[in-house]
Amino acid sequence: MLRSAAWLVPGQQRAEWLAEWSAELWYVGRSCRCQATGFCLGAFRDALWLRRNRPPDAPRAPWFESPARCLVSLGLVTAACVLLALRYYPTDIRLPLRGPIFAMLYMAMMALPALLATTSLRLGEVPANCHAWRWAFLAAKIALLLAIVFWGVLDLASMTGVKVHAGPIHCIVIGNVVALRWALIDQRRRCPECLRLLAHPARIGLPSQTFLEWYGTEFVCVKGHGLLHVPEIPTVSFRTQSWMHLDRSWSGLFS
Amino acid sequence: MAAELKLSHTAALILQAVQAGDGYGFSVMVLTGLPSGTVYPAMRRLERDGLVRSQWERQSIADAGQRPPRKYYKLTQVGQATLGASQRRYPLLAKLAAVEGDPS
Repeated sequence: MLRSAAWLVPGQQRAEWLAEWSAELWYVGRSCRCQATGFCLGAFRDALWLRRNRPPDAPRAPWFESPARCLVSLGLVTAACVLLALRYYPTDIRLPLRGPIFAMLYMAMMALPALLATTSLRLGEVPANCHAWRWAFLAAKIALLLAIVFWGVLDLASMTGVKVHAGPIHCIVIGNVVALRWALIDQRRRCPECLRLLAHPARIGLPSQTFLEWYGTEFVCVKGHGLLHVPEIPTVSFRTQSWMHLDRSWSGLFS
Repeated sequence: MAAELKLSHTAALILQAVQAGDGYGFSVMVLTGLPSGTVYPAMRRLERDGLVRSQWERQSIADAGQRPPRKYYKLTQVGQATLGASQRRYPLLAKLAAVEGDPS
């Protein structure tokens, strides 16, 4: 039971977490064996708390760190999915609309209500001169992700012999929700000026002191373009994440 | 500033139990009567907020007792100050240690 709960714990903390719970269980078992199951059930709650409250990650995948690498990586996966589709794509496939592009867009539209219900569409406050690149990057990322989900699910369905008009259509919609959600979260964690993933998250403030001080996480652009402040609890004065540009006088810190 | 921290009754109870008890998770459970699913996340929250700090028992001590090493929690200075403020806010909290110390 503890090993199952351990999968919920973030990787860096997992070994220590499991060691602590295993040691405690040893003592619980010696004091009263009947309590052991109830004790272990609490481990799931503890693991979920750690999962929810882990500091927002610094870039985990180096192939997504810079915008070029991110698009190249997604492009390669898209190309692999399309090539597999050319190999396995059945001629009798039945899609909700004629043509894969329209079908893909139709599925994306179907995913929108679920996306709106599960995540915020806000991308935060950024300088006005950064918008064009950001939107272009977001659009390219979404286009590639939709293609990956669409062709990936169809490839899997074809390879496993599942009829496309049943489960796979739902899988594409669910996959689109996950992909679009990831695209938005990834976009919020990028520097609005160079579009690199932000790094070195630092938690600031305390949840009980949100009246006069802000409580949240601060990220920094490794190129020294600025700092991103992400509120943990949105307040009237601090509703959404905000970007603070650092001018050239700060460049000495990042060289 | 830290002494002004307002803790919930449960969090204050756990903080009191860390100070009054042996300082490991199961002892806090026994002292407070709270389930593990409440105690351990609360301890992590208190540690994140700098009110307690944890330390693993030395392996040699655990080996001598033929048992696994435990993780002990101890109040920090900020934690002591916060506990003092919480005891003023929740007067019955201080009785927890007194009840535990009473052999009857």
